[in-house]
Amino acid sequence: MSPAHAYEAADPALLTEEVRRYHHFITLALWLAVVTGIEIVLIFLPLSAGVLLTTLAVLSAGKFFAVILWFMHLIYDKSLLFWLFMSGLVLAFATFAAMIALFDVGRIDTKWFG
Amino acid sequence: MSDSAAHAHEAPTSTGIDHKKLIMWLFLASDCMFFGTLISTHLLYRKLYPTGFTDAEGHQRFVQRLFDIELTSFSTFILLMSSFLMALAVSAMHKGGQLKSFRRNVLGVIIFGLIFLGCQVYEFTHFYHQGLTIQNSVFGSTFYVLTGTHGTHVAIGVLWLVLLYFYSFTGRLGGHMGALDVEVAGLYWHFVDIVWIIIFTAVYLVEYLGPDGIWGNGLPPVPGLTP
Repeated sequence: MSPAHAYEAADPALLTEEVRRYHHFITLALWLAVVTGIEIVLIFLPLSAGVLLTTLAVLSAGKFFAVILWFMHLIYDKSLLFWLFMSGLVLAFATFAAMIALFDVGRIDTKWFG
Repeated sequence: MSDSAAHAHEAPTSTGIDHKKLIMWLFLASDCMFFGTLISTHLLYRKLYPTGFTDAEGHQRFVQRLFDIELTSFSTFILLMSSFLMALAVSAMHKGGQLKSFRRNVLGVIIFGLIFLGCQVYEFTHFYHQGLTIQNSVFGSTFYVLTGTHGTHVAIGVLWLVLLYFYSFTGRLGGHMGALDVEVAGLYWHFVDIVWIIIFTAVYLVEYLGPDGIWGNGLPPVPGLTP
C-alpha cells in the first residue's frame, strides 16, 4: 500500500486508532464544556481579582492546549508541527509581555489620557 | 507525542509531513502572532484607558455593564461544540472516507458557525445602539477590530466548509488526499476555536473581576460616571 492511501479503512490498525481517538474527542468535548461552565461561575465568586485572574488564565491555557493536542492531532502527529506552532505562540506571548511591560501605567504620564 | 499508528504511513516528503499540512501549521503559527498583537493591543489600551467609553449623549459608560455574559458564554459553548463536530468529521474521513458521517458532522459545524456569527452580529448591533462605535473610543476600536477579525476568520471557515460539503458530492473527496483536505480545513477551524478561548477570557471574563473590573482598580473616581 502506498503512502497516498494511508487512511484507507482496509488498515485495521488505523481504524482501531481512529475509534480510540473518537472516544477521546467525546471525553474532551465534555471536559471543555465543564471547564467553560466553571470559568463562568468563578467570575461571580467573591474571590480576589489576582486569584481569579490566575485561575482563569490557567483554565484557558488548559483548554487551549487540550484543543491543539487532541482535536488538532498534535499529540498524534510529528513533534516538528508542535514546535512549529509553539514558536508562533511564544513570539505572540513575548510580544504581549513586552508591550504590557513597556507601557506600564506607572511609567506613563497619564494626564494625556481621559 | 509521536508513537501512533499514523506514523507507520509517513508522507513521501523530506519531513515525513504532507506539504499541505505543514503549510497550514506555518500559517497558523503566523496567525497566532497576528492575534497575539491584536489581543495585546486591546489589553494594553484597556489598561491605559480604564474608564470605558463615552456614549453619544456624552455619558461615561462602564464596559462590564455593556457585556452580556450569557450571550458570550452561549457563543463560546457553540464554538467549542463545533470544534468537537469538526474533530468527528476529520475522524470520519480518516476511517476510510465515511462521507455520510463527514457530511452530517460538517453540516453541524457550518450551522454552529453561523449561529456564532449571528450572535456576534447581534452583539455588535446591541453595542452600537448602546453608543459604542469603532470611532468614539479606544476601547471600541480595539474591541471591534479584534472580535471583528476573529469573526472574519469564522466566516472564512464557514465558507470553506460549505465548499467542502458540496465538493463531497462530486465523488472527488476520497482517499488520502480527501482526508488531508478535510484535516487541513479542520486545523483552521480548531484554530478559530482556540483564539476564541483566549478572547473569551482576556476580553470578556476579565471585565467581571472585582467590583468594577480589574481595569478600574486603584483609579480615582471619574466625575459624572454613570454605571
